[in-house]
Amino acid sequence: MIENYELAVIGAGPAGLEAAITATEAGVKTVLIDQYPQAGGQYYMPLPTAFNATRHTGTEKEGKFIVDLLNALPVTRIYNALTWGIFKEENEEDWLVALYGSDIPKYVRTRMIILANGAYDTPVAFPGWTLPGVITCGAASILVKTQRIAPGYRALVTGTGPLLLSAGAHLIDAGVEVVGVCESTRLLPKGILYGPTMLGQMHRLIEGAKYISTMVRGKTPYKMGWSILEAHGKDHVDEAVLTRIDNLGVPISGSEEVVKVDLVVTGYNLTPNTGLARLIGCKLEYLPKKGGWVPVRDKTMQTSLPGVFVVGDGAGIGGAENSRLEGRIAGAAVALNTGHLNHQQAGRIYGQLKPELAQQQRFGKLLGDLFSPKPELITLALDDTIICRCEEITLGEVKAAVADGARTIGEVKMITRVGMGNCQGRMCEHSVTAAILQALSAEHVSPESVGHFSIRPPLHPIPTEFLAQATIEE
Amino acid sequence: MRIEHPGPLLPELQRGLLIKINVNGNSIEAYEGETVAATLLSAGINIFRLSHNHKQPRGIYCGMGICYECLVTINGVHAQRACVTSVTEGMQVETCKELEL
Repeated sequence: MIENYELAVIGAGPAGLEAAITATEAGVKTVLIDQYPQAGGQYYMPLPTAFNATRHTGTEKEGKFIVDLLNALPVTRIYNALTWGIFKEENEEDWLVALYGSDIPKYVRTRMIILANGAYDTPVAFPGWTLPGVITCGAASILVKTQRIAPGYRALVTGTGPLLLSAGAHLIDAGVEVVGVCESTRLLPKGILYGPTMLGQMHRLIEGAKYISTMVRGKTPYKMGWSILEAHGKDHVDEAVLTRIDNLGVPISGSEEVVKVDLVVTGYNLTPNTGLARLIGCKLEYLPKKGGWVPVRDKTMQTSLPGVFVVGDGAGIGGAENSRLEGRIAGAAVALNTGHLNHQQAGRIYGQLKPELAQQQRFGKLLGDLFSPKPELITLALDDTIICRCEEITLGEVKAAVADGARTIGEVKMITRVGMGNCQGRMCEHSVTAAILQALSAEHVSPESVGHFSIRPPLHPIPTEFLAQATIEE
Repeated sequence: MRIEHPGPLLPELQRGLLIKINVNGNSIEAYEGETVAATLLSAGINIFRLSHNHKQPRGIYCGMGICYECLVTINGVHAQRACVTSVTEGMQVETCKELEL
């Protein structure tokens, strides 16, 4: 028996939680789906239920407050559920959401969908980046904050964006010696222009000041205009080479420094997780300052597909507050479209949120303007560097495919198998695109003409026995 | 290794119950609430699998279930993500196990 809903919200981070709350409060019959055991997402990052903290951080408290609001509402919650496909029903109005997990429904049926799938650290390929001991900022945060594991003894943090400071500071408080935080972007003097925007983000300034004071205490240098060049080691990283890079992101020869480390933490800002939006066919546009390919949306966060909304960082990087506001706007729009709110009521909600949304959008613009990684960072990879981690395809193989006539990422995929592995191209799309653009810099190619990977179900690897039994029973 | 004396950014906490899991035939201590990846790292195990073609060592990378680099065999089921799977008493984990086709 498949349960019918008016709304399925997929992803229970800041955006999805607010969307589910706003819609349910208005009377929309809602199901909230998430792949983790608890709501909160990567931002609120709840501790495992088996752990007991003596006190909670401000972010944890905020997350708990929102989750408590949700839990008080008549919303169906399905956790530990991987959404592997979303299919249009024959009536052309409903969607069938296909789930994988134990002790959960295999399908739910819904009239409308809000995708709130968040973001992940933008991967940048450099020699040695597949070695154990090279992890992302997100991995470092989860291991340190919620698992209480120090993933190494001596670390280098490298990439771009404010999350580097958070990762560096948390590693220091975890007892890791952080030899340096390399910020590839030269923030000065351009960053000064954004001072007024940051004054509207006081809590972020306070958070940042905490991280900086932790780094000062740890005597950790913050190196602007630096990046990792290579990680070395046989079975595990034991050394990293740093380099100065120019304003485009190209290494400056002769500036290299070698550091002995057993941990390299990388984070080149964030990339929206658009897998489900691609899978169901939302039209995308390329906005590098939003993190790359993002769904085209109207003011209510509705995509090119009527009844399908995308909110939060999964629709373009904007931060947690922006995500929450977008979630509420989409939740209200669904309530309007399903007849639970009238135009006046929905308009009132939108009017209330609009000023704060504008402020958060300014912050999102700052993130994009200052911290979008340069495509030239592809020059860190050498011809024998693997850029598709799953299928083990090197930069040289991608270049060879382009030399053979491939002009789009889809053609390179067909020739080389990049993007065909378990991660469905999430780890290599930026690098492959940058490699094609670089190889064809003399021709008229653009990210738009190169295109993006298309995604087909199952979005995640699913045991074939499960798929074989995933018949639809009414 | 497990963090025992955290700095101010990390509030003190009590881990879950001490349990045992089995990794490649060896009994290893774990705490309820930990992910398989966390337990493996705390036991000094960094290589979770070998890449399919070149047999290169791979470990945890994204840490949030996105990249599929940390795949291990859990209770006989191949290709499970160590970073998003919680440990349970008596769990059997195998690293670097070839897929038997």
